[in-house]
Amino acid sequence: MNMPRQVRRRTVAVMSSTALLLTLAGCGSSATGASGPHNVTIVFATQGLGTEAQATQAAVNAFEKLHPHIHVQIETLSASSNDAYQTLITDLTSGSGTPDVITADVIWPATFAAAKWIMPLNQFHPNTSTFYQGMVKSGEYHGKLYAMPWFINVEGLYYRTDLVKTPPKTFAQLTADARAAMKKNPKLIGLAFEGNKYEGAVTVFQDISGGFGGSFLNAQGKPVLNSPQNIKALTWLDNAIKTGLSPTAVTGWEEGNVQQAFLSGDAVFATNWPYLYPLAEASGSAVKNEVAFVPTPIDGGQPTASLGGDDLVINKNTKYPKQAWELVKYLTSAKTMTARALISGDPPARTDAYTPSLLAKAPWFKQEEVVYADATPRPVTPLYPQISAQIQEALSATYSGQETPTQALNQAQKAVEAIVSGHGS
Amino acid sequence: MAAKTQLAPALGTGSPQPKRRRSYMAARSRVGYLLVLPAVAALAAIAIYPLVYNLVLSTRFDVLTEPGTGHFTGLANYKQMVTDPNFWGDLGRTGIFMVVSVTLEFVAGLILALIVHRQFKARGLVRASILIPWAIPTAVSALLWKMFFDIRSGFVDFALKALHLPGSQLVWFNSPTLAWVPIILSDMWKNTPFIALLLLAGLQTIPQEIYESARIDGANSWQAFWAITLPLLRPAIMVALIFRTLSAMLVFDTIFVMTGGGPGQSTEVVAYYDWYKYMVSLNFGFGAAVAVAITVLALILAAIYVRLLRQRGGFMA
Repeated sequence: MNMPRQVRRRTVAVMSSTALLLTLAGCGSSATGASGPHNVTIVFATQGLGTEAQATQAAVNAFEKLHPHIHVQIETLSASSNDAYQTLITDLTSGSGTPDVITADVIWPATFAAAKWIMPLNQFHPNTSTFYQGMVKSGEYHGKLYAMPWFINVEGLYYRTDLVKTPPKTFAQLTADARAAMKKNPKLIGLAFEGNKYEGAVTVFQDISGGFGGSFLNAQGKPVLNSPQNIKALTWLDNAIKTGLSPTAVTGWEEGNVQQAFLSGDAVFATNWPYLYPLAEASGSAVKNEVAFVPTPIDGGQPTASLGGDDLVINKNTKYPKQAWELVKYLTSAKTMTARALISGDPPARTDAYTPSLLAKAPWFKQEEVVYADATPRPVTPLYPQISAQIQEALSATYSGQETPTQALNQAQKAVEAIVSGHGS
Repeated sequence: MAAKTQLAPALGTGSPQPKRRRSYMAARSRVGYLLVLPAVAALAAIAIYPLVYNLVLSTRFDVLTEPGTGHFTGLANYKQMVTDPNFWGDLGRTGIFMVVSVTLEFVAGLILALIVHRQFKARGLVRASILIPWAIPTAVSALLWKMFFDIRSGFVDFALKALHLPGSQLVWFNSPTLAWVPIILSDMWKNTPFIALLLLAGLQTIPQEIYESARIDGANSWQAFWAITLPLLRPAIMVALIFRTLSAMLVFDTIFVMTGGGPGQSTEVVAYYDWYKYMVSLNFGFGAAVAVAITVLALILAAIYVRLLRQRGGFMA
């Protein structure tokens, strides 16, 4: 970051917003904004620090070179998904025209679209044929596309290739493998997973639940949280804690804690996201060359990898929809995604971005692509935040021994039924 | 008060002399009104408007994920609130937290105030340094205490183990009762200095002569504390308790950061309930109803305190 650049950027921002104010105050007749030679500034609200921020800055710089009349002001949101969500809700509820372009967690677009805060993108004729279709679906609401996938994220199972010879196909195999390794080294953690009362616990539960053949909502969209499959899945996770396969501390763990346990060589298995792979293969890592990433095992169900990742959405009240779309189109192009993957390790959301040169430099993407095949979105509904909160409560009540898996899921089912039918919140 | 009672009869009579007086008084009060106008306007804008807005919102169905369906529903939100067992559960937990944390903070604050009230070297430095926790944002102090209690890296576990005390290897945040320990400790650490400061100010208003005459009458320090210090400190105690009780009732950030209301629902409080209705359910009407309920409860509590203070004669009477 060099000063002159920042100063110039800020000056431009001030000048253009002043110009905008003058336009608004003076003559309301001039049809500015659309595509004239006027300079416009669009605000891009996004998350990401460190290498992710570098990647965003590099992409925006290149975009500004291509479009000298569009200036992009980056507004960095909190790294915590929950906090960023609240900042955005505050902005969007107020009906503000900025931020114009927003990075949205895959679970947000349905809520934003239902609240009419973001615009359908069909008018711009987006081509999503080469994108991962699971991600495209998570951006659809009532048959319209509201979000362009930016990078994909799937939760899978990491394991230590030096401790486990072949990846476990079943949950029983996973337990046996972990036990065998723990017998040789009692200090090892069998399975490190995210068990804190937050969104990450829900994605882990969905992975396990899918493996047992369960889901949160059935094909008709009705909640089926207390299905026998889901009860089996939660019992399995709960037993992992109760039998010492996972330490009780996992009840407070989030991705960072799991990462710490796995990278320090303390865990045989760990549930986490692709970002961990390059860190595990970095020089100085205690588990370099001893790591593999696979879909979670099954027991009567399908391998299930909870879909995460980020989309790009456009504020419905933006004054510059065309320019905003230009930015979205540029950021979601294969070339930009490849560049981003090289800088920050964010896995591209479209298959044609995995070029041979990218795979040569970051070979782990080959393993990750296998897991993408099992990508499973969380329920795409504006009510998802409430459904998730009920599941979080059920998981936490179970792990802390306040309720049995059956009691907890029965209660969650009742609460979610009320939410879906509009009689509870 | 005096001006008003003088003005009232003057308005009633129509004699010329009071008339002149009235115009003078009217001009005077007009200036007065003009002078307080900015303050009233500011108050209206930042306190009354949001309050009224919230009150109106609480009688409406307003769910952000269902735009265009907002309508008046009367007391439906309130009805839903009082029939929700979660609301009463969260309110009960808030009450227990309020009583426990304020009691502990008050005792600790009083001891702290008595200590720094004494003459000793570097008193100024100590007085200033006890305020440091109070100056740290609540979310930060909550995060600090969360880390202290972390089983892998926190010092609490380490210290308990080193001292061979029970409680090492405990996952504090996974127990519905023990999870309150770090929460209350964090709240105490942050707020005790505030109580100590208010009580210290109260202590300094007690004249030394009273203690001297008590000593001459043969009172020991314990008797002096109960018969002189505590009664004369009453006004300061009341102010400290009002402030702390009301802010304990609104406790949110500490719990949000440390447990997110968990495990299960065991540390959910009423402010958390309100946050959930606003920010997770996006049910602004319901959220407003809860906010109104909290405001009313806070007003009732404040009224009880003020009454207690008046009854036995404090400086607010």
